[in-house]
Amino acid sequence: MKASAVRQALLLIALAFVPAIGEAIYFRDKVSWQSPIPASELVTVDQARSWGDNVIWVDARADNEFERDHIPGAILLNEDRWNELLPHFLGQWSPERKIIVYCSAQSCNASREVAKRLRDEAQLKNVFVLDGGWEEWLKDKR
Amino acid sequence: MNTNFSRLIGVFALAALVQSARAELKWEQTSVDLRPAFNDKQAVAHFKYENVGNTPVHFKSVHASCGCTTAQTQNEQVAPGQKGEITATFNIGGRTGTQVKTVTVQTDDPERSSIVLTLKAVITPLLEFQPTLVYWQNGEEPKPKIITAKANKDAAIKKLDVSSSTPDFTAKVDAGSAPNEFRISVQPRDTTKAVYATLTIKPDSPANTGNMFSAAARVMPSAPASKSTLSTIRHDLATPAATAASPSQ
Repeated sequence: MKASAVRQALLLIALAFVPAIGEAIYFRDKVSWQSPIPASELVTVDQARSWGDNVIWVDARADNEFERDHIPGAILLNEDRWNELLPHFLGQWSPERKIIVYCSAQSCNASREVAKRLRDEAQLKNVFVLDGGWEEWLKDKR
Repeated sequence: MNTNFSRLIGVFALAALVQSARAELKWEQTSVDLRPAFNDKQAVAHFKYENVGNTPVHFKSVHASCGCTTAQTQNEQVAPGQKGEITATFNIGGRTGTQVKTVTVQTDDPERSSIVLTLKAVITPLLEFQPTLVYWQNGEEPKPKIITAKANKDAAIKKLDVSSSTPDFTAKVDAGSAPNEFRISVQPRDTTKAVYATLTIKPDSPANTGNMFSAAARVMPSAPASKSTLSTIRHDLATPAATAASPSQ
């Protein structure tokens, strides 16, 4: 009886491997390289708005996207020109204000990279990433 | 039974025939690992393919995952037996560490209409700083604070030149505790008024071709920063005043 249950369990495990292996082969080129952002480092547009003026907005998108439009008062800080733009941002920073970094959309990686560098390299605290990025900001504005 | 088996074989044979008639791009590799040198501005990956099918394949779109990467095809159409490549050029800019960029290729191959090509570049910068900002609260004792600079070991950097954009700060460079490491000691002249300076750091190395790095030093305003207070912070980036050079290592 016991041996039969074990056999059945092993059979189920083996069967579960079949679709798993198939998926791994089919999606071998679609590996997600983005590690999820901890919830404590993400803010929604609503949360961000509730913080009012106590926020420094950081636009991590490319120069041309920032020039086209951006969140009012946002400071441009992207990795294309990190060395040039960082001093300007650090001149505007103040420890009392929270930093919210955004890029184009949910799928972009620039905001999390910039946020990470501000935490690790500049050793700043209260650095957050805007959930959904610029796209979400626009949706909320409509 | 035998008839059924023969039918089954026939179905498989037909399926195999249909398979062999399709267009198919065979990629030499869909993932490329690059290790650009510290002075490189770009990392270029070549994704080679061949149409091993017997009908042409058309590229419908080639789309990079970020604005920092461009991708180009040699041809819009790939004839049977034809070889080619997609070139992905990643502009490094100020990026560091492991960077993974993807290029999504859409074709009219019904079996595999979309393929994701991956470019992975490990970027080791010429210099890394920690922290990139040193600051003093208003009225804090004006003791020096340290920025540690770690140089790429292949760059053979013997000396760093550090200059402050205002005379409100002095900077001095010493050898660090480890090889290829420097300690930049930054000190404000006084901490009773809000001041800001950009520290421009120039590595002195034969391998360095005019690279400059920045850090910042600040004395914070006395009250919580308001827009008007921030705007009064002196921000003179044009006139480097205090300059220091490190001893040779």
